[in-house]
Amino acid sequence: MMLKTIAALLFAMAAAQTGSLLLDPATIARPAVDSWPTYHGDYSGRRYSTLKQITTANVKSLTLAWVYRLNTQRAAAIVGGEGPDAAPPAAPPVVKSTPLMINGVLYFSAPDHVWAIDARTGRENWHFAWKTRGGDHIGNRGVGIYGNWLYFLTPDNYFVSLDARTGKERWHHEIASMKREYFSSNAPIIVGRNVIVGVGGDALDIPGYLESRDPENGEVVWRWNTTPRPGDPGANSWPDEYAMSSGGGMPWLPGTYDPDLNLYYIGTGNPQPVLTGQSRPGDNLYTCSIVALHPDTGKMAWYYQVTPHDTHDWDAAQTPVLIDGVINGQPRKLVAQASRNGHFILLDRTNGAHVLTSKLIESANWTKEINGTGQPIGNRAKDASVPGTLVSPDTNGATNWPPPSFSPDTGLFYVGTQQAYSIMYLTDTDPRPQGWAAAERSVGRVASALKAIDYQTGKVRWSHPLALTASGSAGGPMGLLSTAGGVLFGNDGGTNFVAYDAATGKALWHAGLGTNTTNGPQTFLLDGRQYIVVGAGDALYAFALQP
Amino acid sequence: MIRPVTTTIVCVAVAIAANLSAQPPAGEFDPAAVERGQQLLSTQCGFCHGANARGGSSGPDLTRSALVQTDEGGTQLGQFLRVGRPDRGMPAFDFTDAQMADLAVFLHSAIRANANRRAYRILDVLVGDAKAGEAYFNGEGRCATCHSPQRDLHRIGAKYDPPTLQNRMVLPRGAVAAPNRPPEPAHLDRNAIKATVTIAGGESITGAVVRLTDFDVAIYDPASGQTRTWLRSGDAPRVVVTDPLQAHVDQLAKWTDADMHNVTAYLAGLK
Repeated sequence: MMLKTIAALLFAMAAAQTGSLLLDPATIARPAVDSWPTYHGDYSGRRYSTLKQITTANVKSLTLAWVYRLNTQRAAAIVGGEGPDAAPPAAPPVVKSTPLMINGVLYFSAPDHVWAIDARTGRENWHFAWKTRGGDHIGNRGVGIYGNWLYFLTPDNYFVSLDARTGKERWHHEIASMKREYFSSNAPIIVGRNVIVGVGGDALDIPGYLESRDPENGEVVWRWNTTPRPGDPGANSWPDEYAMSSGGGMPWLPGTYDPDLNLYYIGTGNPQPVLTGQSRPGDNLYTCSIVALHPDTGKMAWYYQVTPHDTHDWDAAQTPVLIDGVINGQPRKLVAQASRNGHFILLDRTNGAHVLTSKLIESANWTKEINGTGQPIGNRAKDASVPGTLVSPDTNGATNWPPPSFSPDTGLFYVGTQQAYSIMYLTDTDPRPQGWAAAERSVGRVASALKAIDYQTGKVRWSHPLALTASGSAGGPMGLLSTAGGVLFGNDGGTNFVAYDAATGKALWHAGLGTNTTNGPQTFLLDGRQYIVVGAGDALYAFALQP
Repeated sequence: MIRPVTTTIVCVAVAIAANLSAQPPAGEFDPAAVERGQQLLSTQCGFCHGANARGGSSGPDLTRSALVQTDEGGTQLGQFLRVGRPDRGMPAFDFTDAQMADLAVFLHSAIRANANRRAYRILDVLVGDAKAGEAYFNGEGRCATCHSPQRDLHRIGAKYDPPTLQNRMVLPRGAVAAPNRPPEPAHLDRNAIKATVTIAGGESITGAVVRLTDFDVAIYDPASGQTRTWLRSGDAPRVVVTDPLQAHVDQLAKWTDADMHNVTAYLAGLK
């Protein structure tokens, strides 16, 4: 506590010297309604806004305020990076990042690009372009801001800091090796003086880690390895050092934070090799787990493994959503996850004690049992096999990275789900298989739905089927936002951005964007007007009520 | 003058694209060098590191080694091998530069093959009991309700490779694209999900679902060859969906993997 106070004091002194700061990190815990200062809007991961200018009654009058189509041209950009000058023939960029909104400016990213745009008009203030050396350009979740400094990660594993006011680069540090098939897509989360970043990559059998980096110079403050080393607690969940030190567990999504408990919650990735466990008998801690860390030291307070010994790429990286709720009449500090493995998990976030587990989708066919602590235990007959194993969900999971939402008004946890099957073929029968070690052939998606789960029971209160096409259901995982106006914003799998009634799931309003939304929608108040901002493909859209 | 410039640009673009996607371009690893490197590894290193470099009796897995994975064309590997790690039982090796390069090419190609899951080869699908598969086809699976080896499944085993056959047996959705041609739109597939739209006045149109949302419905009208769209408001117009593959969808939860392999073996024998 003392340290935190001193840090806050130092920060205030620094602010006094340099004039007004863009974002005082102390305010992230209780953000003002005229800002969206961190990936989830606040630390809880609920993606719930207290704004209620837009309501179930007037949402029908929501209209387009502006569109910003992603500009990736280097001509007028501020350019950095270690790669070649020739711009690669890039695929159209997709907005997967949730924009931050501070002082009327939106800050967001796509692989190799960061933009600052005016939140009133959607016009560009500055654009930073990164010359890449390569790496998987699958997506980028967003930026973090501390004071006047902006942070983001690149596919070729650089941790880059810009001056948020001008877009000029301050410095960059390499955090992982691209040659080992690491790539970085995470949004940095600021907790006190920690800029928390995690790495990604599962093509090769490499170790996962989460780091705190110093906001001023970018150096490592602490590193938490997602798998133990010999002699560490949890090491006995692996057969040997060989397996655990190359065992994956990438923390590739942003976590959540409880300022009162001073604990940072993160979901970890799947173990390696991905689709077979023959060289790693055991639970394979701390992969596919919800983990609570002390943000100032990186030391683990507790863990809960959502999928022991995963063999289907079902990481537990999905947002650990913090809920202050009531269970059996008792107020509880809870953490909930709609997990890729097809289950909804509710824990006590003070100590990781299990509260409840329920099934998220009907088709999941891989479990043998739910054990005494609520963990789904795999039926090993449903592991990939040489002649093929029919598995649901497929490797994309029942849900995936797009952020869910929880509304304290309805007590409902909202999540986009899909029910797909695939056949998984073991292709590497060596005692030491490598990489994915198996091939997946998709069978099809038989259903997809937006679901509202009662957190107290784990039961589905309402389920809204998503769009249908000639070849099956469309959509599934989607970014969501709930508000005090009783509105839930998401998509319908059919390329519409939709406002649902959060209590009933009834569609109240839609905009045909032509592509499904690709990020988490966010909201803020500006000049007394509530904006809803969402990304779909290569454009960012802002909506507000007709003036 | 134009042609050479264009060629250069294309070459640069291809090289960068390959780098970005982390896929080895054809010919990235000289097959002869890979072969020589593998020979060298198996005779000189295999005793400790295994014939496939994945670790052996006393030596670590070289394909998972950070030193090997981050090596540039044998440079760092060569520096290491010339010294060895005698304190841990790893002797120095006096390979020629050419041998060092071959060894590096083999190891890097093995690592790339591990990482490139799109190129993994499915091994042997046909392990099932064809007789048991035939019995399941005619009995519990109720496949014979709609299908017959004399009619629609005539010589089906000659039409598809075993993994494709197994996939299509489970859910034959979408046409298999001809080589080097894009797949046909899903609504042209005869197994496409269908809908009947009944508009005010009682007219009904049935066709493949192009899209169905809360707000609109579009179907492909086979009579006109065109897509027709209606906006929806509540239940108007009325839309009734039928799936010609509903029995296959229902069967997804019923398959055991053994039954699936048996029926695949049976169908593969229909040649």
